[in-house]
Amino acid sequence: MSDSVRWVVAADTHEGFLARTREVWQYRRILAFFSLKAVQSLYAKTHLGVSWIFIRTLVPLFVGSFVFGSVMNVPSGDVPYLLFFLAGQIPWNCFDGPLIRGSRGLEVNRMLLTKLYVPRIILPLGQMAAGVVEPAIILLVFAGALVHYRTTDGVWHVMASPRLLASLASIVVILVFAFSLTLWTSIWQARARDARFALRYVVGFWMYFTPVIYPMSVVPPHLQWLMYLNPLTAPIEMFRWGTLPDADNPWLWFWYSVAVTAAIFAGGVWYFAHTESTTMDKI
Amino acid sequence: MSERWEATPRYPGAFATIGEVWRYRRLFRFIGDRALRKMYRRTVLGWLWLFINPLFPIALRALVFGALLGVGSDGIPYFLFLLTGTVVWDVFAASLMWGTRSLEMHGDLSDQIYHPRAILPLGNMTPALLNVALKIGVLVLAVIFYAIYDGRVYLRLDVALLWSLSALVLAFLLALAISFFTSIWGESVRDIRFALGQLLTIWYLLTPILYPLSQVPDAYRGWMFLNPLAIIVETFKWGLFGVGQFYPEAFALMTFAVAMLLVAGLNYFSRSEARTIAQR
Repeated sequence: MSDSVRWVVAADTHEGFLARTREVWQYRRILAFFSLKAVQSLYAKTHLGVSWIFIRTLVPLFVGSFVFGSVMNVPSGDVPYLLFFLAGQIPWNCFDGPLIRGSRGLEVNRMLLTKLYVPRIILPLGQMAAGVVEPAIILLVFAGALVHYRTTDGVWHVMASPRLLASLASIVVILVFAFSLTLWTSIWQARARDARFALRYVVGFWMYFTPVIYPMSVVPPHLQWLMYLNPLTAPIEMFRWGTLPDADNPWLWFWYSVAVTAAIFAGGVWYFAHTESTTMDKI
Repeated sequence: MSERWEATPRYPGAFATIGEVWRYRRLFRFIGDRALRKMYRRTVLGWLWLFINPLFPIALRALVFGALLGVGSDGIPYFLFLLTGTVVWDVFAASLMWGTRSLEMHGDLSDQIYHPRAILPLGNMTPALLNVALKIGVLVLAVIFYAIYDGRVYLRLDVALLWSLSALVLAFLLALAISFFTSIWGESVRDIRFALGQLLTIWYLLTPILYPLSQVPDAYRGWMFLNPLAIIVETFKWGLFGVGQFYPEAFALMTFAVAMLLVAGLNYFSRSEARTIAQR
């Protein structure tokens, strides 16, 4: 009698943020597995294989650069338009791809979720890994374009200076921002497919509200604050400031973007934790 | 005495297929209806998604490209310019997207009952056409708005409107012709519609919709005419507003090319459909 074992069901007793982070760490191999699977899904079952990712990323870049730079004559300051354009596309793609893919995380793994337990947040996170492939490729193109302009113009348009750290910081802010939104959108998308259409719709416009294809200088000065209300504007400008000469440094607005990101992140963690179990019942 | 029966595979020609599609025309509504149901299942708003705010993306682009970047528009208001290009582009792009998915969406129907398969790409395009009809309505409203606001009717009310109409029809027929190929390919290569989506984004940029052809640097302008959509879009704009570059010979040549492609597409489709359906 005295050696009888007492069983305690301790589910959901450690719901805090730290406990969840620790749990994701414990499941890191599963996370790596899902990330790999998501990256492979970019080219698996296509006839062209890996080269398909490159074609899909590169062709729109050069066509966009031609149309906006050569046909529409969008101003780009002292640097060639291609460089200006790429320096906007890198941070933008760090937002766009991870958000769109991450939001599908719960939805595409619906079947799996009903069968076994993994910390749910791993699924959007794993999907987001696939979204980072494209900006990485654009970064390579950017490096190639720099070398090209070094040989034709004789100028290095990027200085190796501590300013590059600002670019790095802005990439981090954008990735965290994308993840914070994913905490909300992946839940919505698991509940109703509308969320997917709505998200594509919104992200489609969002780029036009963000100085990706055009510089801030074309926006009338008294309206620029409106542009900066968009939390992506300052990080993208900051990225440009870090890589290209003679861009503005919007550091005050950059901190605003950081604050907005932090708020959405905190809200997202709370929201995800409070809705995931009820959502799992519905899918 | 006994009668001889011979079973041979039948390859109906393009015209026989057209005749059969016509006899089964009552299926169009049913297929369009089914397409909407399938596309928007598990959504709250349902097929209303097809009509959500067609104006907003156009207004936004007009703001960025017309107002901020000052892209030219051949002397008519930029909004009107963009809306016109978008209408004719959407006839092509939306029809092509819906047409390409047709076999994939209605293959289960083909397993159950007989109907001419060629009706599927065509029937599946009705949602796209509904959406375009709405945009044409917006275009008419915009013309009326500018007539009041600018005191000028940009629309030319003469026989040239027929050119615009034929440009619309040609855009649709081109989409149909390509759909006869892509819908078959889509059966074996599932991601063809993703590839097509990417291709259409690039194609959109290379077609003079956001910018007038006159703004393309001289060195590249000749190349732009290799794009059939450039000819269609320019003809459509010229017919409505008398702006842009209109070459009747190019348009006639295009009409001929589209007709050839349509016949080739129908032939390809009717030869491949049996095999494709059997492999599902």
